[in-house]
Amino acid sequence: MVSLNAVLLISFGLFSIGIAGVLIRRNALVILMCVELMLNAANLNFIAFARHSGSVSGQAFALLVMGFAAAEVAVGLALVVALYRKRDTVQVDDINLLKG
Amino acid sequence: MEHLLETIGRNMFAIFGVLSLCGAAFMVASRSAIHSVLGFLFTMLCIAGCFLALEAEFLGMAQILVYAGGIVVLFLFVVMLVEMSKKSGPEVFQLQSRYAVAAVLIGAAAFVGVFRKVIFGSASAEALVLRPELAQGLNVAKQNAQAVSRGLFADYLLPFEILSVILLVALVGAVVLAKTERV
Repeated sequence: MVSLNAVLLISFGLFSIGIAGVLIRRNALVILMCVELMLNAANLNFIAFARHSGSVSGQAFALLVMGFAAAEVAVGLALVVALYRKRDTVQVDDINLLKG
Repeated sequence: MEHLLETIGRNMFAIFGVLSLCGAAFMVASRSAIHSVLGFLFTMLCIAGCFLALEAEFLGMAQILVYAGGIVVLFLFVVMLVEMSKKSGPEVFQLQSRYAVAAVLIGAAAFVGVFRKVIFGSASAEALVLRPELAQGLNVAKQNAQAVSRGLFADYLLPFEILSVILLVALVGAVVLAKTERV
């Protein structure tokens, strides 16, 4: 039997690793992957609470979140490719177009 | 042997959860982007296993199809396109990484401080059971796909339709962003 707190702890760990990756990595692709990881941690919570409350609303919403994640990846990767064409790099530290 | 298998079956969620944490740590820490993508794939498969252990069968399968089948391949394509052509620099982490690590640690400490009672308290061990009187109408445990579809197409039809429009916009936006300058 899975306790709710075990799910919440795993989900918290995944979300924290995702935030840490977004904050400390330089590669834009890895940052996108970390954002996906955070969305998945939220999905895990959705499913756990759906199971906890005995309704399927959480599972339906997790499916919606999955669709949003797919849309986000499509746009994000297109941005990375466009950026690579323009600046010849995907390291976010090298991208300082707004700096005067 | 049987005992061992039974123990593994009972702790399936914990096993997949810890494996997914390991995969996520590998993803963040590895130097090459290809290794990161492989860690991402492993993490997503383990999360799908978590979904299956929580008896969300449809979502587990959708997770495998969408992430392992679609998104990881997309990431691999872009990594091949972008990363392989040039050797990446020696710096993996950002310049301000020390501050970022400190921020993450402070956030984790704040979380533990706030939720200490909830996580380690006595009331926390409540098992995650399906309430039968709620689940009966939807038959969640028996036919997960049917239950999810009823929730999706009856209760959340409007968000679903909005999601389809958003996917269309994302498709057009990705094409516009990624195409070359000359038309």
